[in-house]
Amino acid sequence: MVQIVISSKAGEGPAEWLLVELQGEMVSRQNTGLAGNLMGDLHYTKEGVPVLIVGHHILYGKQVKLEKPFEMMETNQENPTFYTVSALIKKKLIFKTRPKPIITNVPKKV
Amino acid sequence: MRTLEEVQATLQIAKVKEEDLQPVSYCLSFGDYVSTTVSWSWMIHFQLTISVLIIKQDTSNLLLFVPGCKSPDEQISASPQLMHAQIWGFSNCYWELRRQRPRLKKLKKLLMENPYDGPAVGMQEEAPGLKYTMDDLLERIQASREEIEIENLYIVKHRPVFVGFWRILDFDYKMKLLGHVTQLVDSESWSFSRVPLSACLEELGSLEPKAMIEHCLNCYGRRYSIEDGQVMYALDEDKVCRATAQLLLQKKKCRFNLSEFQEVWQQSVPEGMSARLDQLRGLALLDRSTKPETISLLREEDLPEDTLERFNSLFSLREKWMQDDIEPYIQDLCGEKQTTGALLTKHARSSVQSGFKGVYNSRRPVSN
Repeated sequence: MVQIVISSKAGEGPAEWLLVELQGEMVSRQNTGLAGNLMGDLHYTKEGVPVLIVGHHILYGKQVKLEKPFEMMETNQENPTFYTVSALIKKKLIFKTRPKPIITNVPKKV
Repeated sequence: MRTLEEVQATLQIAKVKEEDLQPVSYCLSFGDYVSTTVSWSWMIHFQLTISVLIIKQDTSNLLLFVPGCKSPDEQISASPQLMHAQIWGFSNCYWELRRQRPRLKKLKKLLMENPYDGPAVGMQEEAPGLKYTMDDLLERIQASREEIEIENLYIVKHRPVFVGFWRILDFDYKMKLLGHVTQLVDSESWSFSRVPLSACLEELGSLEPKAMIEHCLNCYGRRYSIEDGQVMYALDEDKVCRATAQLLLQKKKCRFNLSEFQEVWQQSVPEGMSARLDQLRGLALLDRSTKPETISLLREEDLPEDTLERFNSLFSLREKWMQDDIEPYIQDLCGEKQTTGALLTKHARSSVQSGFKGVYNSRRPVSN
């Protein structure tokens, strides 16, 4: 039976990351791949509602505390069953509602 | 890099009022290398090592991992600011770690192939038979080192001394050891809760190895120290009576007359201890429907480990069970946060018998 060892880096606690959950998939404009590209602007309202502006869309989401936190783990090259916790995720921002389009060119009334 | 002014301009176009927002905003972008083959997991807070099942979970949603990005309730500044956060990676699957019951029946089965019944007599070589070290066991059993260690096994050090073999004590041998201890307690008129270790070892060391005497005390008592540092044991009445009952019930593979059994049992336990039927949960099955009432050996450990097989086995033995009677035989099947009631609802059908609720029978045809 496999024995997996999980430990946190000695001395320091793991860093805390944020998880953003979206529906659908993400593609780059010219299909050139996502690396190096801007994704969007993330804002929070005074009530704590996360607002995400991606391209021509605006999404409203909410913050959810994870029932079971996520752990980001790195494996050890020499010992594949030895994992070190490099980050912890305790909450996520989930965007479930339909994105609203942002109209940039409003035709002027004649 | 996007500037605060550009972000504010976008907000204007999107018709979002800046005064409704918190002062700090984040500009999310993908790094030069974006991780897509992420394998990560839920974490279960544990202090000991435990057995887990690792399950891959797919989600229809896209999960983005953003280091260094604060959540809405973590205000870091009162003045408008744009923070740049890089998305480390994304994925649409993750690994879940689910706590699993350690499969210890297999452990017992392996060890019962060659139980330890005392040291070799005289010049006799230790009887041949399979012996397992901890590493051997970890390789064969779905359990962690700590889960195995708490199973009160005895580690016998054969030559070479630094190799320890984990053995299980033969039941009759354990009872023999217990008999020596209780007889000594009786002759010395000690209280059951104040049994001195050193005196036991001194008096009984000539009959059995000292390590075995101590192991027996650990199995049937609670160890503690008193003011002057002396080690004492408090014998556990329930454990002693239960073991005595097992010894009696094991003698014959049949049912015993309940009242006759209770009489013999009380006489067999050390004087001063009370033999009570509630001590036999998970060990013996009472049948109050027959005249005379009977009792027979039914050990939870002898039943199948798999949930469906276990229920099948129980319903083959007895068609209808009262909840209180069946509970000790299904308790260990309960997963994390699961109750016996939930298990019964899932695997059995309840009915009302003679006005009593909580009678269960099988949902499926029972296969023998």
